[in-house]
Amino acid sequence: MVRAVPTPLRILAIVFVILTGLILLAPLVVVVGVSVSENQFIAFPPQGFSFKWYEKVLASPEYLSAGATSLQIALLVTLSATIIGGAAAIALHRRQLPFSDILATFFLSPLVLPTIIYAIGMLMFWSAAFGPVSTATLWIGHTVIALPYVVRTTLAVLAESDPFLEEAARTMGAGRIQRLFHVVVPQCIPGLAAGAFFAFNISFDEAVLSLFLRKPGLTTLPVQIYGQLEFSPDPSVAAVSSIMIALTIVLIVIIDRMLGLSRFAST
Amino acid sequence: MANVRLLDIKKSFTTLQVLHGISLDIQSGEFLSLLGASGCGKTTLLRIVAGLESVSSGGVQIDGRDVTNLPPEKRDIAMMFQSYALLPHLSVYENVRFPLRMRHIGSREEQDAQVRAALETVQLGHLAERRPRQLSGGQQQRVALARAIVSKPKVLLLDEPLSNLDARLREDMQVELIEIHKRLGLTTLFVTHDQEEALSLSDRIVLLNAGRVEQQGTPDDIYARPATGFASNFIGSANLVPTQIIDTPTGPAGKLADGQLLPLPASETTRGEATLALRQEDIALAAEGTLKADLRTRVFLGARNRYVLSLAGTTIRALTANDVLIEDGAPVRISIAPERIRVIRG
Repeated sequence: MVRAVPTPLRILAIVFVILTGLILLAPLVVVVGVSVSENQFIAFPPQGFSFKWYEKVLASPEYLSAGATSLQIALLVTLSATIIGGAAAIALHRRQLPFSDILATFFLSPLVLPTIIYAIGMLMFWSAAFGPVSTATLWIGHTVIALPYVVRTTLAVLAESDPFLEEAARTMGAGRIQRLFHVVVPQCIPGLAAGAFFAFNISFDEAVLSLFLRKPGLTTLPVQIYGQLEFSPDPSVAAVSSIMIALTIVLIVIIDRMLGLSRFAST
Repeated sequence: MANVRLLDIKKSFTTLQVLHGISLDIQSGEFLSLLGASGCGKTTLLRIVAGLESVSSGGVQIDGRDVTNLPPEKRDIAMMFQSYALLPHLSVYENVRFPLRMRHIGSREEQDAQVRAALETVQLGHLAERRPRQLSGGQQQRVALARAIVSKPKVLLLDEPLSNLDARLREDMQVELIEIHKRLGLTTLFVTHDQEEALSLSDRIVLLNAGRVEQQGTPDDIYARPATGFASNFIGSANLVPTQIIDTPTGPAGKLADGQLLPLPASETTRGEATLALRQEDIALAAEGTLKADLRTRVFLGARNRYVLSLAGTTIRALTANDVLIEDGAPVRISIAPERIRVIRG
């Protein structure tokens, strides 16, 4: 028998939920508020109302070039992480590889490994092996960090799929390659799309690795925001952040409309 | 259409042997049922014909050609799965077209005509554009059937295709399967654990027990003349009563554990230890009768009553019309026409 939750506990739970929501949303409200302030300094509550900081951002070559770099790397990472992570998930799902459990853990390890350790290692390794860092360094680094998300979302969809589909396809004359492209990959698409969304966002937001690997011409948007905050903080930082928030929301809405994100919320 | 020959097929999974040498000849156009309890090897045998499972020894021939080492995609077969295995990302139409696409059968126009015809056959023409998840279980099952027959395969393999349907739909689908088989004449191998399904659909039934063929024959034949205790129990759920067959002045009779005598046909030649197979529907309950039994329980089945009785210490079941009503625990008398009794030696 499940007993009814006592009223005091119930009230506590509601308070907890409201607090959690506030703590999650308050920073966003502050950032968006600051971005439309007339004030020269980052201060909340905002004074006056203007879009001048947005104008400044859109006219700033530093922000625009950092934005372009971030977008370029994020798109490359989305592509590579989705292909590699999807392939890895399909292989892991079949459990035909030797040590497939160990491999699964290995693919998820970037989630638990501190990014700063990985960033230092990547910098030292790259410098020793290939010399100065480049776009490729950041691309590879971000791909590694984004992989676990694609692997997880794709594995989640595969776990729900009918294990007899491939056998059925065999009895209908589909060879190995045909089965991959007509049966397995189409089943993975919701997971791949969700994973691609995560990969894009992780790369676009990533600051630690990008900071270690930065050099002139290889400054991503989060690194640019960090630099701006350090040396000449003004509400333009909040304006850029608001644009990033808006972009993320638009992406979420698109993906959700197309595929439904709810099923990944629990995995 | 093609005949299928199975040559002494043996199959082991690691240390467990599930098929102990099965040989079968399936005629061209025949509807053959593999009947047996779960774990008897019937599905493994079907998967071997499909090529989804390898043999440990023995061979499979389709249309006179040895296909033992051919993968399923190279065999001209179609298989219907218990879960239907429809491709969720494709429409009903594209699901049915899938085998034609994969096997490169016909031009786009010819494929279209074949898909439309197959969908009409299962009366789903109007749902061609739907996705599988928008269909009911019965409709999904029809799509799976259309997809299995669309390429006119040499052999049609059905793996308990009706087991996920409710009783009413199952009866409808049985009729449909019979009619489709009559019309297309596909060589069909049907796996089921349901003896009624096997009896009503098949040209021939092969009864499997623990990886061996227990008995095979036409439904009439196997129903009327079960060869073994297992067969008579599995087909028609007959009651098995141990007996001693002796001669009496009126002819042979089975002497039960409590000394009661059950008359047997004069033509019966077995004497001594034997088992009597008494079919549930052949046992008549009445105030008058040859044998005394104790009534334990009555199970009301709607159209019929099932009585659970104790006869000479053995529990037996009898099916009667629903107007036969006897109080619980009352002594009853039962009678069985001698010619309806099957004697199993040993």
